[in-house]
Amino acid sequence: MADAPSVAIISLASDFGCQVQITNIDPGLLQVLGLIDLRYWQLTSSGHMPEEYDVAVIEGAVTTDEHIELLRRVRETASVVVAIGSCAVTGGIPALAGTIDADCRFAAVYGEDATVTPGLHSPVAISRYIDVDYIVPGCPIDTTEFLAVLGRALKGLSNGMPEQPLCASCKTHGNECFMRRGDLCLGIITRSGCDAKCTTLGRPCTGCRGLAPDANLEAARKVYAAFGHDFDEVVTALDLYNTDREVCR
Amino acid sequence: MFFRMIDKDRLPDLVRGLAAEFEVVGPVAKGDSFVYAELEGPGDLRLDFDSTLLPPKEWFMPPRERIMRFATADNEVVDCEVDAPPRVLFGVHPCDVNGLQLMDNVFLGDRPDPYYKARRENTLIVGVNCQPSDTCFCNAWGTDETHWGFDIFLSDLGPDYFVSVRSVKGAELIDRHVESREITHQDTRRFQEVTARFKASFPEPLDTSQLPLLLDAKFDSPVWDELGERCLSCGACSMVCPTCYCFDVKDVLDPDHAGGERVRVWDSCMFRDFAAVAHGANFRESRSSRVKYRYYHKQWGYLSKFERVLCVGCGRCTRACLAGINPPEVIAALQGAMSREEVAAE
Repeated sequence: MADAPSVAIISLASDFGCQVQITNIDPGLLQVLGLIDLRYWQLTSSGHMPEEYDVAVIEGAVTTDEHIELLRRVRETASVVVAIGSCAVTGGIPALAGTIDADCRFAAVYGEDATVTPGLHSPVAISRYIDVDYIVPGCPIDTTEFLAVLGRALKGLSNGMPEQPLCASCKTHGNECFMRRGDLCLGIITRSGCDAKCTTLGRPCTGCRGLAPDANLEAARKVYAAFGHDFDEVVTALDLYNTDREVCR
Repeated sequence: MFFRMIDKDRLPDLVRGLAAEFEVVGPVAKGDSFVYAELEGPGDLRLDFDSTLLPPKEWFMPPRERIMRFATADNEVVDCEVDAPPRVLFGVHPCDVNGLQLMDNVFLGDRPDPYYKARRENTLIVGVNCQPSDTCFCNAWGTDETHWGFDIFLSDLGPDYFVSVRSVKGAELIDRHVESREITHQDTRRFQEVTARFKASFPEPLDTSQLPLLLDAKFDSPVWDELGERCLSCGACSMVCPTCYCFDVKDVLDPDHAGGERVRVWDSCMFRDFAAVAHGANFRESRSSRVKYRYYHKQWGYLSKFERVLCVGCGRCTRACLAGINPPEVIAALQGAMSREEVAAE
């Protein structure tokens, strides 16, 4: 495996769900392990980060000074950085913390005298601090898409992320439209590529993949209003994964 | 063509008989809508359907299909078999029969598409008449009826079906699987009456007079800008369209990178990357140009080649587009639209 690219899988603030998803790659996981030299996987190891690696796969949002320092080191070391999951790609659910007064929240949870982790930040996507070469959005990541993007990263191809919203993909499954049934669905502005799993299983899109780069937000705003969803309702739904609108695009 | 009469209560015999030889696909209920799906039994078949969420094209060109497998070591094709089981599409409205014929012009022309062709050859079409819904405008194009493109066609006369038999295979199906009788003059009269009532039940047809000329004259109309501002660029219109045939081809590597598959997936000219080429150039960067060329292709470009417009008035895009962009609206807007010069002069 001397020529195999070395990979480190690193986690910041998250529930480790995307790393768990990687273990769900069956049977492809063992095959992809044959292509790489996996030097570090935070979920499966108590050891320390290696000094050298070619590809860094990073899950989780940035929440502390320590994270920022780690990211800078990773960027200097790795030739390729892959952000996986909505926490790392858009800030995801952790970034919701930035929409309220954090100090009051800590006091409510831990009591007035609790010492909070030093250097704590409002959670943000990793691209707020370092350049990211490849993204695998979603909450959690789709295993097939992760393998595809990792494969493209190993071969130096483009990310291959779709730019359009979800609707076309949803239509190919012969789904009824949630919007037509009166439900709020974020599919009209959310990045495609998930194969419309949620809407096909009967749940409206909650926007976990971030805003579609080619979404027409002005038009969508009018469509939502025309279908009886006021702007606050849309914003609240969108905030679940996409509080950082700039990063989300 | 010849004709037979089938009593309605005999129809399940036909479905059951076909199921012994074919995969039988027909309209079935899904929520408040209908989709084409393989029938479990005659009871699933809902010939009272208004339309289906997806048109029949999915049974000839699936949304995602593997067109070959390849090995990376020697760069060889290892498998390119077409999955084309013997199938009957049972219950296709005239608009959609026409839609398949418009697809045929593209896929069965000078260089036939082997995947589409194999499925077309292995699929029998059982047409069925319909009632116009509030989104139908097939009468504008004359696609509210069809004379070819099916094996048999069922016209509902109340207690029985007036059956048009178009092909030898269709004749065999009727012969083998269902009790039928010869038509009488009275049956023909009843068929004509049902047809007349159907035609009369449409609202005024869309005014499509001089449409290609209109498009030429309104190429620079501000209407296209306004449509571009409204368009969500979601591509829903293309997916549900029985005549949109554009596809993308992608290579997907296996996890071990030793091989992979080449897949064909439905594409849409509403997507920004549809007309993107190497070095980032894009012929259809703006949304308005994408909407415009969708309409120019359907009502002008295809027409210039095949002498028919690439639309059958099924109304699926009208129902799918949340922004309210659809052929009747666009054509009406163009007819009323001013040119850029007129707008400037005001």
